[in-house]
Amino acid sequence: MTQHPTPNGDGFLLNAEGVSKHYEGVTALDGVGLHVRPAEIHALLGGNGAGKSTLINILSGLTTPDAGTITFEDQPLELQRPSDALARGINTIHQELSLVPALTTLDNIFLGREVNSRFLGLKVKLDRRHMEERVRTLAAEFGLSQEDLRLPVGEFGALKKRVVEIVKALAFDTRLLILDEPTSGLEEEERLNLFEHMRRLREKGVSLIWVTHHLEELYGLADTATVFRDGRRVGTVGVADTTVDDLLGLMFGIAAGEFGATTNPPALSETDDETGDEVLRLNNVNRSFVLRDISLTVRKGEILGISGLAGAGRTELARAIMGIDKISSGTVHLKGKQVRFRDSSTAYQKGLAMLPEDRKQLGILPELSVAENISISSLDQVSQFGFVLKNKDETNQAETYRRRLGIKTSDVKEKIRNLSGGNQQKAIVARCLNTNPDLLIFDEPTQGIDVSAKVEVHNLIREFTAKGGAAIVIASELAELLELSHRVVVMKKGRLVGSVDNIPHALLSGQFEAVKNRILAISAGRTES
Amino acid sequence: MNFQRTASRILSVNGVPIAIALVIVVIIFQIMSPVFLTPGSVRDYINNAIPILLLTVGVAIVIVAGGIDLSVGTVAGLSAGTTMWTLVNGAPTLVAVLTGVGTGLVFGLFNGLMITRFGINDFIVTLATLNIAGGLLIVLTEQVPLQGVTTPGFSDIVYGNVFGIPSAFWIAAIIFVLMQFFLVKTVFGRRIFAIGIAPSAANVAGVNVERVRLGTFVLSGVLAGAAGVLLASRLGSVQAFLGSGYEFIAIAGAVLGGVSLAGGRGSVWAAVAGGLMLATLQQGLRLNGVDPVYFSIVTGLCIVAGVVFDRRIQQLALSGIRKRRRTGSAPPPPDTSQEAHLLRTGKQD
Repeated sequence: MTQHPTPNGDGFLLNAEGVSKHYEGVTALDGVGLHVRPAEIHALLGGNGAGKSTLINILSGLTTPDAGTITFEDQPLELQRPSDALARGINTIHQELSLVPALTTLDNIFLGREVNSRFLGLKVKLDRRHMEERVRTLAAEFGLSQEDLRLPVGEFGALKKRVVEIVKALAFDTRLLILDEPTSGLEEEERLNLFEHMRRLREKGVSLIWVTHHLEELYGLADTATVFRDGRRVGTVGVADTTVDDLLGLMFGIAAGEFGATTNPPALSETDDETGDEVLRLNNVNRSFVLRDISLTVRKGEILGISGLAGAGRTELARAIMGIDKISSGTVHLKGKQVRFRDSSTAYQKGLAMLPEDRKQLGILPELSVAENISISSLDQVSQFGFVLKNKDETNQAETYRRRLGIKTSDVKEKIRNLSGGNQQKAIVARCLNTNPDLLIFDEPTQGIDVSAKVEVHNLIREFTAKGGAAIVIASELAELLELSHRVVVMKKGRLVGSVDNIPHALLSGQFEAVKNRILAISAGRTES
Repeated sequence: MNFQRTASRILSVNGVPIAIALVIVVIIFQIMSPVFLTPGSVRDYINNAIPILLLTVGVAIVIVAGGIDLSVGTVAGLSAGTTMWTLVNGAPTLVAVLTGVGTGLVFGLFNGLMITRFGINDFIVTLATLNIAGGLLIVLTEQVPLQGVTTPGFSDIVYGNVFGIPSAFWIAAIIFVLMQFFLVKTVFGRRIFAIGIAPSAANVAGVNVERVRLGTFVLSGVLAGAAGVLLASRLGSVQAFLGSGYEFIAIAGAVLGGVSLAGGRGSVWAAVAGGLMLATLQQGLRLNGVDPVYFSIVTGLCIVAGVVFDRRIQQLALSGIRKRRRTGSAPPPPDTSQEAHLLRTGKQD
């Protein structure tokens, strides 16, 4: 892999230097740079929360950077709103389609930029004929017939909708097109079709910034790749002379040496695969479109890690186990007995608990106090006859957890939204622990929290399993996953595609490399397990 | 400094600003027309307001859980009708009361089941039951004249006298205390707030969101039934269209009291204070000789003014608390969301 020469400002269409963005104390982008050549397909890579979306939002005028300089076609680029970006020829196709389903293709293409016929200098009505003439050739080039232009977009499949978005972008002077995961929701054949369209765009002299999680897609298509991690740019490489492993290494930032220093502490409970009691067993669990034939077991005292790229179905699996989403076929066994949860409250009653991925949306109840957030999953413990709340007990309980987990707050009656992310997370961990679960699912337990809180949350997970609990940990960061788990299974497109058993407690750097490479190879789709 | 701190804290409590405004309005009306606070006048207008206050409390609980119930007005009317119908057919008072409350219960259950089991939008379901209950009352009043009942004890439900205070006051007071206790001191009440604040987060935390929602609609229905019984007892006769339009007075009262339409914020006291405010305004206007034609215009304007006033006061109180935190010894938490939230809910309401 070769680093590109330092850009000097010449020959680049887009030149971003030192771009930073902070959200409420969280650094989303930390002085990143991005250099896009004319007529190039430039891949933008990174794990969840790496800062890709933030940069795209800046380039499409949805948000403004706190610092940094951006030039576009050698002119400074200072976007206040999305229309500014369009005016400069920067078009973005977001992951969620922004078409209006009830409107026709033509009306969608010209939405907000309608051409009106005039009468006595007044805009009278939409001049559809004029608009149609303007885009007919372009549309035909992308396989849209005249009839397609007159049909409502809602009737089209995913690929055709993307194509409409592309035509919409090209109908007006576009020199930079940003594609945010354009292949999501597309079938294999449609993907290849879309790639053809992308090549055609490059031939027309349009530059593309392409965000994708599917690294194998890059080859033969992308010219350059820029990798972000934790809000920083960790490298810009030519795709032709880089392997998938190199890219994954950059994305998840695992350096073997760095890892050797922080191996699992030997204080972990010994788990023997043969004798450990089985807590959870899944037999061929399916959920339409998201989970396929998932079979796995989790034993007492064990931490099972689930690895996989974004969209592999990890969170969906957790939700299906908890009964939040319905399982379409297959069986779930809890401690040897088959169960079928209709909702999450039954799962909690039967000894399951879950720490959700999205703390702000699914974790905290922002308007309730820390104490109330801790007790919500186990209110019968702080009430008389399961009915009248005993506020004193609730406060005492929260105080116990505040001391034990080191939740930093002046008062447990403080609203939880006033706490920092790490302390909120500890309160949610306390909520889960307080239900005395047999199995606890941690979905991205350390996302968005600082390093010291991370270590503390890790210790809580270990403590929990050391006392006989079973845990499932979902984490995008491989180093974290390997450090915690006894066993790792790898998911891809809703399936379990591989596993790594018996991860040693103390991984030597060589061993770590081997394990890491195996998981990365499986995640990226080169199945050899 | 200490006074300021206490004042800020008190004002930031839901419902307190509207209660203060209520006192101010009462004083102004008393100055304008000295008969305002005579016992007879107060008794009459509060007696008239009590059924709607019950509806206000029921709707407030549904709103705190993040829902809406439009059917309470006509369900109360229909409950009054079924109560009367039972009496006309010679049943004793107790049976009539149970029929009235039961009517509300059935409608609440129907609303709740349609919303939770079939996943239909609560606005639509309760709009439908609003029409169904209203229609049933018309049918009922066409078949039997619902009046002329002399069953002993029935009018005493409202006009009875306990320790010198009309019995309707006692009934309402007991229901309000029970409901407030239910909302803030019970497991179910806590879950109501949880699903109102963030239903999906509550679901992940193991709260049975559907069951709690169902419960709030049943509760609202039962309160509407009770309101119907009180209406029947007070009026002595039931006409078609009784209760229609009450739902909007009830919702307006709850919102005026600071119950957030976005869910997760409010209390029974706040709703009652808001409802009383509306009733007081009408009485004050009546006593000052304002043509009743203008009542709804004035009421509408007062709702807007009241809600703006409530949000302003709370914002001021919160900024007071924030300022102290910055200067005080306590660690300053990131507080930007507080203002944002207030602005947001302020706009949504």
